[in-house]
Amino acid sequence: MASTLWIGNIQFGGISVPVKLHAAVSQDRVQFHLLHKTDRVRLRQQMICKLDKAPVPAGEQVKGFQVDERKYVLIDAEELEQAEPEASRTIDVHEFVKTGEIDPVFVEHVYYLEPDASQKAYGALAAALKDMDAQGVCTWVMRKRAYFGALQSAGHALRLNVLRYTDEIVQANSLGLESFELSEKEVGIGCELIQKLTVHFEPGKYGNEHQKKLRDMIEKKAHGQKIALFTPKHLKPTEPGTLLDALEKSLKGAA
Amino acid sequence: MMMQHGKAKAARSNGKKTESAPHEAPAQGIWSGTVSFSLVAIPVRLVKLVEPGRISLHLLHAKDFSPLERAMFCPEEEKIVPQEEIIRGFEIEPGKHVLITGEELESVSPERSRTIEITEFIDIKEVDALYYDHPYFLVPLKGGEKSYRLLAEAMHRTARAGVAKFVLDDREYLVVIMSRDGALAVSTLHYSDEILPENALAPAAEASEENVIKKTIQGMMTGFTPEKYSNDRREKLLSIINKKVKKRAEVEAPEPEEEEAAEGVADLMSALEKSMRATKKGT
Repeated sequence: MASTLWIGNIQFGGISVPVKLHAAVSQDRVQFHLLHKTDRVRLRQQMICKLDKAPVPAGEQVKGFQVDERKYVLIDAEELEQAEPEASRTIDVHEFVKTGEIDPVFVEHVYYLEPDASQKAYGALAAALKDMDAQGVCTWVMRKRAYFGALQSAGHALRLNVLRYTDEIVQANSLGLESFELSEKEVGIGCELIQKLTVHFEPGKYGNEHQKKLRDMIEKKAHGQKIALFTPKHLKPTEPGTLLDALEKSLKGAA
Repeated sequence: MMMQHGKAKAARSNGKKTESAPHEAPAQGIWSGTVSFSLVAIPVRLVKLVEPGRISLHLLHAKDFSPLERAMFCPEEEKIVPQEEIIRGFEIEPGKHVLITGEELESVSPERSRTIEITEFIDIKEVDALYYDHPYFLVPLKGGEKSYRLLAEAMHRTARAGVAKFVLDDREYLVVIMSRDGALAVSTLHYSDEILPENALAPAAEASEENVIKKTIQGMMTGFTPEKYSNDRREKLLSIINKKVKKRAEVEAPEPEEEEAAEGVADLMSALEKSMRATKKGT
C-alpha cells in the first residue's frame, strides 16, 4: 500500500477517529528534462536578479509584499512564522452537508484515510456517512498550512477532499462575457442533439493512448528513426449565421 | 495537475506557419483552439478558474531589493538560457537524452492538439469528485460568441456535460466541458487507472457505534457555506503588512533597465516554473 503521508485525528461531537492519510491518485506520465539546445546540458531553475541578470543564492533573498510600483514591505521569517497556523493533529469536523451540495470545482486534491487505531469508530463513521449521503466539512493544519476540506465515505473507507477557499474561485461574471440572443429553435435543437449524444460516464473506457504513442515515438527516435511530422488539425469556426444549419445537420447525423 | 502552459507556449513559438489566426491568441491565455460538438465548432481560449492564494510575496535581492525572477540556467556555461535555446529531452540512461522537438510532440496526436472535440455528453453527477483535476474557464474568441452561448445554454437546460480528450504540449487530457453561470468551464480529469483502489484501506464496518455517530451527524447537518471558511494565514499576513505600511516601513527597488524586453521572458519563465512544480506535485 502507498505510504502514509500524515497522521491525524477526526473529531466532532465528542467522537474521535484516528486516521492515516494516503494518496488517492497516482500519475505515471512521460517526464521530460529541459535541456540547452547547444550543449544538451540539463537546465536548472534559478532565481535571477532583474538588475544584475545573475543568479541570487537563497541566503541573499528576502521576501516583500508589493505596495506600489517598485515599493515593497519586507516580511521576515519571524513574521511569516507568526502568520502560520498553530500545529495540530486534529481534523475538526464543524458541520455536515448533503453530498451533492459541494461544487466539484472546490475539490483541489483527494486523500484516502486509513484507520489508525480504532477500527470500530472508523468503520461506523464511514457507514454512517454513506447511509446518510453526507460529507463532513472540516479544517485541519498539516505541514504548517491550514486546510479546508470535506470528509466522505469511499466504499468501506473514508476519503478526505481538500477544498479550495471560496476566494480562490474565479466567478464567471468576471469574464466579461456579452449576453447573446439565441432563438428558441436553436437552443431546442442543441438540447435535442445533446440528449441524443448522452451516455453514462464510464471512466474506464478512456485510456491514455497518447502516452503510449509518445513512448513509441521516443523509442523510434532513440533508434535513429525519422519521425513523421503532422500538422495539427484546425476546425473552421461555425459562423453565427450558419449555426442553425449546422445544428440541424448535426441532429440529422446523430439520428 | 495543472496544464503545462509554459511549455505549450514554447511549442507554439517554434515558427509554425500552419496555425490559423495566431494573432487571436492573447498573451494571458493558456491555450487557444476550438471546442466542437457534431458540426458546430467554437473558437475559444482557456483562462483560469482558480487563483490560489491572493497574497503573493515577491522574492527580492537582499542587497538592493531588486525583484527576482525565475529563469532556466545552464550550469555548464553559467548563463540564462533564452526560450528558443530550450529543448525537451527524454532521459534514456543517466545523462543521455533523446531530444524531442515541439513539432514532433504535436505530431503524436495532431487531431487533438488544437481541438477539444466533444464526442458524447454525460450527466455530470455521475462523475465522482475524485476524478476532477484542474478547472479552467473557456472564453469565446471573436465570432464564437453565439455558438458558445448556445452550447452553455443547451448544456444548462439538459444538465449535461461534454466529454472530450485533447492534447496540450506533451500531455493528453481527459476533460469535461460544463456550463457554469452562463459560461463554459472545462476540468481535466484523472484517468481511471490513476485512481488508486480504496478497498485495501479498511475492512467492512462493525456497526456498534454507528447509531451514536448518525445521531451526532444529524444534529450537525446544515447547508454548505464555504464563505465561512477563510485562509487565516492570509488574514494574519495582511494585518502584519498593514501595520508595517502604516509605519511607512517600505523599501524601494532600483529602476529596472529595458523593462519591456525582459517582460516576455519573465512571464514565460514563471509559467515554465509553474509547470515544473505541477509536474513534481503529480509524481
